[in-house]
Amino acid sequence: MSAPAIELRDLTRHFRVKTGLFGEARHVVAVDGVSFSVPAGGVLGVVGESGCGKSTLARVILGLLPATSGDVLVDGQRLSALDRRARARLIQPVFQDPFSSLNPRRRIRDIVALPLVAQGGIAEAEIRRRVDEGLERVGLDPAMGERLPAQLSGGQRQRVAIARALVLRPRIVICDEPTSALDVSVQAQILNLLAELRRDLGLTYLFISHNLAVVEHVATEVAVMYLGRIVERRPTEALFAAPEHPYTKALLASVLTPEPGLGIPDVGLGDLMPDPANIPPGCRFHPRCPVAVERCRTDPPRPRTGRGIEVECHLATV
Amino acid sequence: MSAARGTALLEVRNLRISFGSLAAVRGADLTIYRGETHCVVGESGCGKSVTALAVMGLLARNGVREADRLAFDGQDLLRLSESQLSRLRGDRMAMIFQEPMTSLNPAYTVGSQMAEVYRRHRGGTRAEALDRAEDLLGKCRVTSPRMRLGQYPHQLSGGLRQRVMIAMALMCDPELLVADEPTTALDVTVQAQILRLLMDLQRDLGLALMLITHDLGVVARMAHRVSVMYAGEVVESAPAEQLFGDPTHPYTRGLLACVPVPGKVRRDQPLGAIPGVVPRIGHRFEGCAFRDRCGQARPDCARTVAWQANGEHGYRCVLPPDWTGPASLAA
Repeated sequence: MSAPAIELRDLTRHFRVKTGLFGEARHVVAVDGVSFSVPAGGVLGVVGESGCGKSTLARVILGLLPATSGDVLVDGQRLSALDRRARARLIQPVFQDPFSSLNPRRRIRDIVALPLVAQGGIAEAEIRRRVDEGLERVGLDPAMGERLPAQLSGGQRQRVAIARALVLRPRIVICDEPTSALDVSVQAQILNLLAELRRDLGLTYLFISHNLAVVEHVATEVAVMYLGRIVERRPTEALFAAPEHPYTKALLASVLTPEPGLGIPDVGLGDLMPDPANIPPGCRFHPRCPVAVERCRTDPPRPRTGRGIEVECHLATV
Repeated sequence: MSAARGTALLEVRNLRISFGSLAAVRGADLTIYRGETHCVVGESGCGKSVTALAVMGLLARNGVREADRLAFDGQDLLRLSESQLSRLRGDRMAMIFQEPMTSLNPAYTVGSQMAEVYRRHRGGTRAEALDRAEDLLGKCRVTSPRMRLGQYPHQLSGGLRQRVMIAMALMCDPELLVADEPTTALDVTVQAQILRLLMDLQRDLGLALMLITHDLGVVARMAHRVSVMYAGEVVESAPAEQLFGDPTHPYTRGLLACVPVPGKVRRDQPLGAIPGVVPRIGHRFEGCAFRDRCGQARPDCARTVAWQANGEHGYRCVLPPDWTGPASLAA
């Protein structure tokens, strides 16, 4: 068995946020002791509501933000021990918004070439060849390389972002809401492309999304994040078949499948939205939990494992 | 779920909307019945939002609205003066948006904004208006409604702002509520709560709800009737069970095949995808606008395509209602 593609060990990231000129600095705990590993070739879907820390997690794994504590290992190597160029050869991002993640003044060809140019020492002809190959692989005509991002549709731009991510032939791609800004028909095209690329190139994905139906379709394993912690992590099919954590249950209940006549489910979570600057004592989910008991208010649950389930809940059956 | 059909409240015939030389809507027909939720679904640029704005008379200044008929409760909206229209708007017809701050003024408290709407249309004292506001906030499941009246919009969470906006839209007991992507910016759990609220209000108050969305899941769960828009036209319209059970237009079928459904769509299979891109607004079309993305296109699609109707189910396509497509599309 080779090393996992991604391994997190007790990863934590805090922010100090000052609100207003004289406001007191608030301590925001975005990622709070997250550990997991993703095997090479796997797809870990990370789901959770806004503010749960999933995008911060992506940025720390990409090395765009330093960790407050804990370790990120990529392909068995400590991320903090790698320089930027080595990191870029291993792990690359695809972000949500193809409208803001591409430089509007640069030709598509130069955008895709940038990671190669940044590596240094690659001949121009080789760069040209690899950019053409990269554009073709994501289903774009290499002639499109001469255009500017504004001349492309949203789906085409996201293909450019994927081509740029793959041009260094990384092993791991961090997809942060890669289809959330796209139309339904285009979303399906991009999801199919990502699946095809993973199969052909043996990629590993960390796939962050708020859309559970999308995650169900692409992920081999799902991690549910709530206020900076992973509260449940399991193989996709098992998680969708029999969710264990009350928060997972609520998330799954709120997926609206296109089946008429089923009505809108009662999620039963109440209105209290979680605030990462003010994490409740005990189980951090207890103020919204429909089944919380006394103990949940004071006693933080520890991770429990069994039957392939990893869950943080006092009431879990494992 | 099909409610007893009321009378037509909003009738739209051959609606055309253009901005300068750009045609955003090229002849849309819609009928919205009393007491019914009518979802208008489509992708970006299909004209669904401008259709809603045109109904409300809220198009941007350079927007031109033409129609063979645009009537609210039998009253011709095209002939109303701006002042007649503003008496109707906020009173008998109201609108809510994706971003609550579109309708909430950050400089006024929730209570004073809600009271203003009511007193402008109905008169009465401020105290009466505030009582009604409190009552409606409670109906919209806002906690501590009395306290909320004194708060400013920025003091509320996103979900609460959405509820306040809905309550404000209901101040004058509208007959028609137009909701443009009201839950798109919300987290899934909050989305479910807001949709549940809208569904209950629609039923309890007997509202006609025109719900604009791109989300087929929302449509399936909320709609009595659905109109699918593509490139500025309504391409299919049917009661919800018929649209999802027996989609006929190739675009509708394609759209349904694009959506991953947990437990229903095989995970090792690619999703059905519609090739090509959503056309940009202002593109000039001859014949069917979908034909360059359609697997069923044939030469006569380049001519004007007639609307075919069978009872309440109609669509704009040359194919017969029982055509069988490739498995990937008919899934």
